[in-house]
Amino acid sequence: MSALATARVAPARAPQSSPSRHIEIVPSRTQRKARPRAVYALVTVAGLFAILVAQLLLSIVVSDGAYQISGLQQQQRELSRDTQSITEELQVLNSPQHLAANAVALGMVSSSSMAYLRLSDGVVLGAPVAARASDGITFAADGGALIPNELLTGVAIVTPAAAQQTGQDVGAPGTITPTGSIPSTPVGLPSPVTR
Amino acid sequence: MKQSRTTRRRLAVAILITFALVAVFVVRLVDIQVVRAAELNAASSDKRAVASVDPAPRGTIVDTNGIVLADSVTRYDITASPRYAKPFTRKNADGTVTDVSVQQAVSEISALTKASPNAMLLALTTDPTSDFTYLVKGVDTPTFRSIRDLGIPWVYPRAKPHRTYPAGSVAGNLVGFVGTDGPQNGLEFTQDRCLASTDGASTYERGADGVRIPGSTVTTIQAVPGGTLKLTIDSDLQWFVQQAIAEQANAIGAESAMAGVVRVSDGHLMALADYPSVDPNNVSSSSTAFFGSRAFSYMFEPGSIMKGITASMLIDQRAASPTTQVTVPEIWRTPDGARIRDATFHAPMHWTLTGVLEQSSNVGMSMLGTRLPASVRYDYLRKYGFGEATPIHFQGEAGGILAKDWNTQQNYDTTYGQGVSVTFAQMLSAYQGVANGGNRLPLALVEGCTGPDGTVTEAPSTQGTQVVSQKAAQTTVKMLESVVTGGWLSSQLSIPGYQIAAKTGTAQVARPTGGYGNDYIVSVTGIAPADNPQYVVIVTYVKPHIMKTSAAAAPTFHKIMAQVLKTYRVPPSIKAAPGYPTTW
Repeated sequence: MSALATARVAPARAPQSSPSRHIEIVPSRTQRKARPRAVYALVTVAGLFAILVAQLLLSIVVSDGAYQISGLQQQQRELSRDTQSITEELQVLNSPQHLAANAVALGMVSSSSMAYLRLSDGVVLGAPVAARASDGITFAADGGALIPNELLTGVAIVTPAAAQQTGQDVGAPGTITPTGSIPSTPVGLPSPVTR
Repeated sequence: MKQSRTTRRRLAVAILITFALVAVFVVRLVDIQVVRAAELNAASSDKRAVASVDPAPRGTIVDTNGIVLADSVTRYDITASPRYAKPFTRKNADGTVTDVSVQQAVSEISALTKASPNAMLLALTTDPTSDFTYLVKGVDTPTFRSIRDLGIPWVYPRAKPHRTYPAGSVAGNLVGFVGTDGPQNGLEFTQDRCLASTDGASTYERGADGVRIPGSTVTTIQAVPGGTLKLTIDSDLQWFVQQAIAEQANAIGAESAMAGVVRVSDGHLMALADYPSVDPNNVSSSSTAFFGSRAFSYMFEPGSIMKGITASMLIDQRAASPTTQVTVPEIWRTPDGARIRDATFHAPMHWTLTGVLEQSSNVGMSMLGTRLPASVRYDYLRKYGFGEATPIHFQGEAGGILAKDWNTQQNYDTTYGQGVSVTFAQMLSAYQGVANGGNRLPLALVEGCTGPDGTVTEAPSTQGTQVVSQKAAQTTVKMLESVVTGGWLSSQLSIPGYQIAAKTGTAQVARPTGGYGNDYIVSVTGIAPADNPQYVVIVTYVKPHIMKTSAAAAPTFHKIMAQVLKTYRVPPSIKAAPGYPTTW
């Protein structure tokens, strides 16, 4: 297009440089035909509009995304609050004082006696002694734990009756179902399966 | 021609004006873009941008199995603006509206937090022009959510970091605590460099409805969370040990108690218990004397548990063997004027070195121990770690008192653990050396600090000191077995199936005014299994007033050692080797 324009304009300047002579190159038929037409203008304008519309749509999508991000961030904040407060609760329930107090409440005692059965020849190593009822942990005079934990204030201790009732659901100790126990071979000593 | 001159002049004027205008614009541009750029940017950013703090949590403290001992959680301060504290209308879920008065709003908050409504009303009315007051401090997440759901327009919850200690006083005095002004005690304080976090800061621009404009976030400070501090402590064992010493300390009326478990192979403290011990969740319930770890800070004369250490020197220097014979009277007046006495009356006895250890004779140990010059024994004690703080350098750790020059009486007393002041941690470290074939490893309480980028720092040194030869150390352990097989506490100390080496100690406590009073420190130290040492356990009770002999510490030692052997699945000893003769 610029080539054509030059071709058109250059002769027009010629008379100025030398007013005495007037020579003009007459455009050929093809050159006249090749002149810009309305369709180019239309294409250009349409293109511009297309770009503008695309930009508008893009910015709509981006700001829609901003709302989505904002919503999801809010959700994430709430969920991380959930995680934190549940983890906190779990850690406290997991504390040794709480586990020990629960074990005592369920009638368990700790035994310092130990013995091992050697599988190769069936020899018992050590001297097993039955635990006594008095082997359990003792509590402070006020009934609290000797090793206190302020966070356990108000946390309920499981009772044997409650454990029986809800054992199936919560998997509380003391209600191990037969399928959950360690499988043993009917004949001979149990042997570990190792790979 | 005249017209052409006019045209030129006009042209010149036009060009001049154009240049002048451009110059003005340039000056203005430079002024705005360069000279006042910072000021204008700040002013504009204040109008558009919102600064936000990205909180980074303080690092956690975990035990050797990863159980959390100290954690960072979020609590909420409920604040309010008294200026705007006015009745408001609340839209209910079913579309109706209710008017809520200030009193009613306060009583709703009070019902959720159990805080006094009067105090809250007072806070709101003291300065009605103020824009800020606290209503309730430090509520947890569920309460915060309930208060938020009340929809009171003049109440603003503010998040703040809070430290929680899920295991309470289990290792509470080691972990320490964080106060309102930052870390105050224990490892929280001394390891703050590992645990501290850096809050991030960023700015973003937001639209009229408060939504962040995409791509406008500028992070000015990167948030760096704190590192994870991993201890060598096993929290379950730690609880067991604390519980065991607390039960017995109550039973024998002891002022305080200490117990520790060290893994022989690497010098790691698996448990280090103090009784009483602070609950970091409720610091005010304990006396400040028990905030720290007395195992590191309390100095005492260890008494007879030192005899095992003295025996190892004698063997190492070949100054005596397990069967060296000595005639031991009850009271011995030394040639240089000192006077040594055994704890119980006895006729002159024919004991070997092993027998002296078994019967815990002060006279016998003085006779044999002084075969080595004082300077040699001093050097050994230094190599065993006495007289200087352990490499742990716990907060307030004492170095003990080990004088370089001993007077006549001290020369004998030091052989059986009087006249020298030690800490409980030093005693553990010395017996770790004996159990580990004479190679004393640095005692460790911290396994390492894992930074947010995964790098591990603060790993303890593994550079040991060969104090005595392996042979001497093994011989010493074997001699100490006779305390368990033949000593007067044999039935209480032995654990069926295992060979145990132990030494009891009943030390007199020096009075602040000089001399010894009627107070004792009773201890049992032990190594198991003696044929392949894996764990050292020491139990010490300070100033018991019901039972004042080492028989008070023996049941606890048995309980803790049995638990250690069970917990770590230590295989029982295979053969019971015959011990050394104790008499001749």
